[in-house]
Amino acid sequence: MLKFIKKKAAQSESAEKKSPLDIFDFSGENAISVKDVDLYYGEFQALKKINMQMPKHKITAMIGPSGCGKSTLIKTLNRMNDLVEGCRVEGEIAIGGVNIYDKSVDLSALRKNVGMVFQKPNPFPMSVYDNIAYGPRTFGIRKKSTLDEIVERSLKQAAMWEELKDRLNKSALGLSGGQQQRLCIARALAVGPQILLMDEPTSALDPISTGKIEELCEELKKDVTIVMVTHNMQQAARISDKTAFFLLGEMIEMGDTEQVFSAPKHPETERYITGRFG
Amino acid sequence: MQTENVVKQKKRGAPNAGKVRNTMAKYLFFVCAAMSVIAVFGIIGYILYAGIPAFRDIGFFKFIFGTNWSHDAGVYGILPMIVSTIVVTLGAILVGGTVGVFTAIFLVFWCPDKFHLRYNGNNKFLQKTVACINKINLRAVFDQVIKLLAGIPSVIFGYFGIAFIVSAFAGADVYGIGKGALSSALVLAIMIIPTVTSLSKNALEAVPQQYYEGALAMGNTKAQAVFRVVFPAARSGVISALILGIGRAVGETMAVNMVSGGRVYFPDGLFTPIRTLTTNIALEFADASRGSTLFAALFATGFVLLVIVLIINLSVNLVPKEFKGKRGNKVLHGAREEVVYEKKGLIPEILKYVAMVFAALIVVILAALILFILIQGIPNLKWDFLFGESSHQHPSLMPSFIATLYTILITLAIALPVGIGAAIYLVEYAKPGSKVVKVLRTFVDTLSGVPSIVFGLFGNLLFVSLFGYSVWAGSFTMVLVVLPTIIRSTEEALIAVPVSLREASYGLGASKIRTIFKIVLPSAFPGIATATILAIGRIIGESAALIYTSGMLITTAGAAANPGNMAPTLTVFLYMCWAEPTNYLGYDQAYATAVVLLIIAALLNLCVYLIERRVKKKR
Repeated sequence: MLKFIKKKAAQSESAEKKSPLDIFDFSGENAISVKDVDLYYGEFQALKKINMQMPKHKITAMIGPSGCGKSTLIKTLNRMNDLVEGCRVEGEIAIGGVNIYDKSVDLSALRKNVGMVFQKPNPFPMSVYDNIAYGPRTFGIRKKSTLDEIVERSLKQAAMWEELKDRLNKSALGLSGGQQQRLCIARALAVGPQILLMDEPTSALDPISTGKIEELCEELKKDVTIVMVTHNMQQAARISDKTAFFLLGEMIEMGDTEQVFSAPKHPETERYITGRFG
Repeated sequence: MQTENVVKQKKRGAPNAGKVRNTMAKYLFFVCAAMSVIAVFGIIGYILYAGIPAFRDIGFFKFIFGTNWSHDAGVYGILPMIVSTIVVTLGAILVGGTVGVFTAIFLVFWCPDKFHLRYNGNNKFLQKTVACINKINLRAVFDQVIKLLAGIPSVIFGYFGIAFIVSAFAGADVYGIGKGALSSALVLAIMIIPTVTSLSKNALEAVPQQYYEGALAMGNTKAQAVFRVVFPAARSGVISALILGIGRAVGETMAVNMVSGGRVYFPDGLFTPIRTLTTNIALEFADASRGSTLFAALFATGFVLLVIVLIINLSVNLVPKEFKGKRGNKVLHGAREEVVYEKKGLIPEILKYVAMVFAALIVVILAALILFILIQGIPNLKWDFLFGESSHQHPSLMPSFIATLYTILITLAIALPVGIGAAIYLVEYAKPGSKVVKVLRTFVDTLSGVPSIVFGLFGNLLFVSLFGYSVWAGSFTMVLVVLPTIIRSTEEALIAVPVSLREASYGLGASKIRTIFKIVLPSAFPGIATATILAIGRIIGESAALIYTSGMLITTAGAAANPGNMAPTLTVFLYMCWAEPTNYLGYDQAYATAVVLLIIAALLNLCVYLIERRVKKKR
């Protein structure tokens, strides 16, 4: 009898370790690889034959003038573009070895593994605690002590545990803009993503909050792969490992950040980073 | 440029004349706005005044907590009616509120814009039909369905209830009539659905898109995002919608009167015949002579009803607008535990289907209602009945057409200038957010929550004393009924006029009054036109406020041509077919009248739709 219970426990434990949502294999060198991707909004082609690799545990920055397709691309990485009517993607985007535009891919599983932080902070109108616990709760975690742990861990990961631990029950809408954005990062981290997409995460923030988020990104790199769209050239130069330059729906150049900023291969890249257009 | 201005001013008299005119206009508009305050105090005061003899003679506690009401025995206790009102309202909000809220969710999130039917055969006719169906804008159609449901006179719901609900229950019930608590609750449920649906829809649409996207980006399915983030974010608006639905249910008279059974019993069973506060007034008022205890007791009933409705409607203001955080402080001591994420969330998926089923249910109900009325009514639509000479043996609709037209014209002639003036004061003159505005708005909202039977009581007391039972008395009563709608809608239309237009006008040296009349009002015209049409719909659909003011009487077209005489509007005529049937007046005439009313309601809806579409196109 006792044996049976032990066996059962062992079974459930081994079953516990593998979540049914972890369908991706991140053992390879690149977290994301984009192959020959074309994207259309109706008739308009927004992305043209994009090819790029984003290495694991690195920050990849995407730069370029407005309307160049960088935000479009970042939204295809977690398929938020599915919301846009008439949007069509061709080519292959492999994340953790899985083509995410394959029909068999579960959207929930994809977005659990590929978190997103938006341009404008968008905390839910709930308490700080409920914001963070929201993701885990939708993925079936109900146990109070487990949720408590996740909330604490996520807030510590986002370096805001100390400022928020006494106001977990307060509305998240009462936080400052910078705090809200870091809360959104913590919220995204709470479901244990492997990749974090950031779409101009600091464009709505003041310089001090921006600095804090940049610091945070450097810290988070240990655990997650970060892809960031930014309009701020210095930001890209400061924190990213790889930089990709986009122009009119095409990727002009991608390389190590240092190389792109010091010795760009393409004249258009040079003109953009030296501020002659864009 | 300057000289030109000077010339203009000189032409119009001294510069001071303009100032005086502006100041006078301002006070005039203020008086218009203050009318709603006067009306609310007038109604409450007058009704209390007329009810006081009842409280004095019967005794306050005996009246409120008395369990029996019999005019013949001279016993007046309204406790069973209070309890019935509460029970029936709760039933209605439980059913109608749920259906309404879920329908709103369906409309905002799952209602497809278009049909996506496919047909690959060769039949040309079928190909064309499918192409035609695919062109229909489903969302717009659904919107119109809800609006049409809101525009149907409540008496028609009474007939619908008698035909479908009462007859279905007649077998199940020991009293054998099918009228009672459950029938009333269900009819009310259908009637409050449009209120709850359209207000909930507004609340859901106001939730920022970012919340929805944020939830999706966290791996939520659409249903999870809708039911766990967007819907909770719209909570305060949905609660307000439900409260206003409750207010509507408590105040509804005519339809309930037709399906409740009218007995003064406690609602101890689903099929027990009951009497609510409103129907008590409608049923007994005809027997009450001025100055009698019954007369006073009915006004006292009206006062109790008024107090209940006002409390319900004012409690909307207590709903917190946004989440402020919970009380207390959270102390965490989470243990290290293995975390396993699973794909869960069956409940939101089920709720999604619930929303679809309820939305379909509404379409079925409306289709049943319209088909039923058309099938029963069209065979009875004869030229003689519509436009023939009216008499006791051959009642026709001609007098009612005339009476309805007069009521609309007189009511609008007073209500439109006053309502628009009040809106101008609120938007153009009063400081936005100031105390005056807040107080005035509260009174406008209060007035809009007053049950129409209470307007009827007030109209009987004041306007019937002044003009006698007449179309005049009915129309003056209707002014109070439609005034809040006109003020509110005009206000919205004025607010929507961009500030830059006003600034441009002032920049050219125009006075405030000129800016208002030449720039602001013309820009707001479509909104004001919509408000007018809605008011017309309300006047045509009203019955409770009219039966004891312009009266229930079969009359002739000649007599109806003088608004100093009694004459029933179309809806009152429809009610008479049920309330005072004769050998010559009954269900046949009722259904024919209902067809006419349905057509008018549909036409008014069409007008509003066309105006709104035109405005949208221009933008």
